[in-house]
Amino acid sequence: MCQYDIEMTHITKQYPLVLAVDDVSFRVRRGEVHALVGENGAGKTTLMKILYGMTSKNGGEIAIGGKPVNFKKPGDAIAAGIGMVHQHFQLTPVLTVAENVVVGEERQSWWNFNRKKAIDAVDEIIREYGFKIDAGRRVGDLSVGEQQRVEIIKALYRGAQILILDEPTAVLTPQEVDELFKVIDRMRSLGKTVVIITHKLKEAMAISDSASVMRDGKMVKAGVPIAQCSTDLLAKWMVGRDIELDSTRRAQQFGETVLEVKGLCCRDRHGPVLKDINLRIRAGEILGIAGVEGNGQTELIEALTGLRTPESGQVLLRGEPLTGGPLQFLQKGVGHVPEDRLARGLIKDLNIRENLILGYQWSDRFAGRFFLKMNDITAFSRKVIDEYRIKAPSEKALISALSGGNQQKVIIGRVFEENPQVIIVAQPTRGVDIGAMEYIHEVLLNLRDAGAAILLISADLDEVRRLSDTLAVLYEGEIVTETPADTLSEQEIGMYMLSGKMDGEEVLADGKTA
Amino acid sequence: MGFSVVSLIVSTLRMSIPLLIAGMGAVYASRSGMMAMGVESMMLFGAFGGVFTSYFTGNVLLGFLTGMVCGAAVGLLFGLLTVRFRLNQVIAGVGLNLFMGAITTVLMEVVWKSSGNSPQVASLTQAVRVPLLADIPVVGTIFSSLSINFYIALVLLVITQYVVFHTPFGLRLRMVGENPTAANTLGIPVRGYKYTAMLICGGCAGLAGAYLSLDQLNMFVQEMTAGRGFIVLVMMALGKYTPVGTVLAALLFGFADALQINLQQAFDVPSQLVQMMPYIVTILVLTFGIKHVKGPAGTGKLPEE
Amino acid sequence: MGKPLNRSKLAHSANTAIQSVGALLIALILGAVILLLTGANPLGAYGAILKGSVGSVSAFINTLVQTTPLMFTGLSYLFAAKAGLVNLGMEGQMLCGAMGAAVAGAWNLGLPKFIHLPLAILVGVLAGGLYGLIAGLLKAKFGANEYIVTLMLNYVATLLMSYLANGPLRPEGEINVATAPVLETAQFTKLVKNRGLTAALFIAVTLSVLVHFFLDRTKPGYEIRAVGRGRLASETAGINIARTTMLTMFISGGLAAMAGVSMVLGVNGRYIEGFSPGYGFNGIAVSSLASGNPLMVGVSALIFGALRAGAMVLNMTQRIRPEFADMIQALVVIFVAMPALFQVVKTRAKKPETEPAKAAEKKEAN
Repeated sequence: MCQYDIEMTHITKQYPLVLAVDDVSFRVRRGEVHALVGENGAGKTTLMKILYGMTSKNGGEIAIGGKPVNFKKPGDAIAAGIGMVHQHFQLTPVLTVAENVVVGEERQSWWNFNRKKAIDAVDEIIREYGFKIDAGRRVGDLSVGEQQRVEIIKALYRGAQILILDEPTAVLTPQEVDELFKVIDRMRSLGKTVVIITHKLKEAMAISDSASVMRDGKMVKAGVPIAQCSTDLLAKWMVGRDIELDSTRRAQQFGETVLEVKGLCCRDRHGPVLKDINLRIRAGEILGIAGVEGNGQTELIEALTGLRTPESGQVLLRGEPLTGGPLQFLQKGVGHVPEDRLARGLIKDLNIRENLILGYQWSDRFAGRFFLKMNDITAFSRKVIDEYRIKAPSEKALISALSGGNQQKVIIGRVFEENPQVIIVAQPTRGVDIGAMEYIHEVLLNLRDAGAAILLISADLDEVRRLSDTLAVLYEGEIVTETPADTLSEQEIGMYMLSGKMDGEEVLADGKTA
Repeated sequence: MGFSVVSLIVSTLRMSIPLLIAGMGAVYASRSGMMAMGVESMMLFGAFGGVFTSYFTGNVLLGFLTGMVCGAAVGLLFGLLTVRFRLNQVIAGVGLNLFMGAITTVLMEVVWKSSGNSPQVASLTQAVRVPLLADIPVVGTIFSSLSINFYIALVLLVITQYVVFHTPFGLRLRMVGENPTAANTLGIPVRGYKYTAMLICGGCAGLAGAYLSLDQLNMFVQEMTAGRGFIVLVMMALGKYTPVGTVLAALLFGFADALQINLQQAFDVPSQLVQMMPYIVTILVLTFGIKHVKGPAGTGKLPEE
Repeated sequence: MGKPLNRSKLAHSANTAIQSVGALLIALILGAVILLLTGANPLGAYGAILKGSVGSVSAFINTLVQTTPLMFTGLSYLFAAKAGLVNLGMEGQMLCGAMGAAVAGAWNLGLPKFIHLPLAILVGVLAGGLYGLIAGLLKAKFGANEYIVTLMLNYVATLLMSYLANGPLRPEGEINVATAPVLETAQFTKLVKNRGLTAALFIAVTLSVLVHFFLDRTKPGYEIRAVGRGRLASETAGINIARTTMLTMFISGGLAAMAGVSMVLGVNGRYIEGFSPGYGFNGIAVSSLASGNPLMVGVSALIFGALRAGAMVLNMTQRIRPEFADMIQALVVIFVAMPALFQVVKTRAKKPETEPAKAAEKKEAN
């Protein structure tokens, strides 16, 4: 068992502006589950994309099963028995499971594609590994966990001996993670080699046999047996210093109700997306909303920021109904940190200064009736860059030249400087490095302590648990539970996220738990 | 002059032919995720190439073949510009349209010492008489007055429908168009599929262009495609990017065009005002007809590294 | 940290300039190859173009005459592009503007010049602006693809104007397909006697500066740029996208209309069918070469104005169609937009430590 299945030596990858992978060597033994650990941007994914032939390398050697290889394209890697499940699933929603799996390797005559045959072939793998999935369904109708299974089936169908999973647990509930780990166990018992790219240390400890840690494009620890690791050690290697991510502080007391949502219902073309949402957020409170993505979070955010008109129900700000579009909501003092930073939050081809007034361009601090107040805007920009420790050469730097963390700080600074009464904060630390994450959490808690009412929506369960004073779970457009933080365990929250109820609870006809 | 249903049907079908043929090509292109903004230029160059060969050889068949080759060449060029050189598809389409419009005019001067149109050349004058079909009353009359290109369009429809939805090639093509990155990670040569689709698209568009210059007319006229390359795209969207839907939409447009001609002949309406009709129909379709139609999700995208 | 980024910004503008110049050179070289293939002498042809455009004072005046409408349509395309809109309907908007100005310019109301001329301009600009607004409205309210709508509207405008110039607006006994002559009180002041060079050129220059300041320093200008670069973010920020789209297309149409106005009230003194050799479409190339900078539109229009003026002389001497100029412009459109074709000035930073930020960004983009 001493044979290395993957041997990458002295790999280097230079992007135009950055050295993403710097002289990295990486070995994985045959039949083991190996965790490749590192922060966002450490170079893990780039290294694995090089192995998969998706990204070219500038230097270094790769050997698979002892044989030197030089993959030019993913097809070469697939032929050599490597499969990769990407963080963003590479599936086509309009095609079926079977079509998504077999496309490119149909094993049928070139002049006729038979759907039935494809489904049969995929069903065979589904049986062998004990997946629960219907090969004839459209991928667009599947849950996130099921889509991930399709991705794994794709690799297995192509005879993968080595499977690379990029952040496989990022979007899963604790229960789905357990199920994934069972599949990984099954693959290990069949002698397959698995590499898991992750920054979630508990999970790395739970499933892998050994771990390698990357930081800033370099390999800082390679191939350490998991018995010699601990989450603290991994964290230290990963960040290069001691970090404190488990600490938190809850609100001491709440003020009066600031934002109240009453009987909010929304529907889109396919049916209802939000069903009778009732929430209230008090001054000095963070209300956290947990839930698997796609259960109405986006719609809830949109309804609370004026981007979506509810079918029925009300949103009240200090007792006054909020109506109109985003402009009216912003003007009444509802701040918004959007879930998709670069789509809704920022304009990457405009500079920091221009992005810092986005959403407040109507404010008389920044503009008169017609002309912009250029001097005031510049002074404001410099102040925000300074106060929020945004790393940028000047206020004229383009947003696209900033890191994810600094981009997020631009949004946070813009919204928080306005002293909003309510802030809708969605996915505030997605894709940012740990330093920025710590900072953003701190700023949020400080603002809460100063009396703001904050609604936090995040797919990162750890984040919601850490910051929230009150925690609610959104499942299929409904709030299925709402309790003070710390009353539910991680497992219990996971159960709500996955099924909308606790085990054993009866579900009534209208979907509410008894 | 009278207003006869038979002649209206015949001219509807005739007017639809170039849209049917080019539309089938555009289906391949759009299914591979290409916007095919350059169809107009492929048609125009096809029309020119067809007349060029017919003029020098006197052989209409060779003319049609040249038209197809010319169209396919421009199609491939569009593919290279947008895929290999990562040019924005709208810009590439606009650039190629301007270029083909200009160079055909420059070449007309060089070849025929004329600026507005080419001399008359050998063209397809004979309608095809399909035995049996032609003997049916009324229907027979209609089919007997259609050129072979109408039947070519029908064959193309059947082939396209089968290839896109019932072959591994079609499945991969749709995968490339829906999600090029996914296709790439599966080892499907995304660029190759896009180039192939553009070659087919260009070939069809070139044939459609040659139909205009060698069948509907017998000469090349400056800017003779008159926006049909764009109208095809709108009709394809109306037909939800399926071959059958595209054909039905093209027939609708052909009807508007035929009605226009019949109206012009029947009533004393200023010709310019009646000629606006196809364009206005297109704008109406674009505005009200395709609001919820979504093209392939990967349109205009290239695989990410 | 500051230095590498500032350097990269400098390199960015250098790259933009190199891209433009390089694209122009490649287009000219390819043009030469095509000339060679058709049996013409490219050196002779380019010599003739140079001579016909800048070879004499008279030639240069011709160049400036051609430059004027190109500046307007270039600004028009650029303005729409700032809002993320592709306005391919400048030709039609220009025709509307020309007809509007021709009609208003021929009104014999006994108005003094300082009222009649601005009035005629206004009518023309409104006509073109409203025509542009149609596409803006359909885009804003129904999501209709503006580039195909504007293209279709070109055909409609061409036919409509042809009808008007042939029928209702054609004076009795007029041999040409044209409208009644514009009164002296509605004509631009000629800068050179009996030549087409008029004060409209100054308007074009002034407008390019105004467009620059409007986009850069005003609230609606900011909103237009925001919508152009990030629709969703603008929506989230409470910017009224529909209104911005309509405003943009109205202004863009008005700018294109000015090209027609300048021809009718300046060069031709009336609406003549087929007066435009494609000034509308030329605007795309003008804007491309200026790489979206309103202050560079003048330079860019001057280059293409010279090309067109030279090509017209070329046509008389060498039987090369003036569409040769359009061909070069089409090539410029293609090559300018080709990403990273001329990245001669590298923006490479060797040390990753200075910018670990970028690595994260890169990764995220993946």
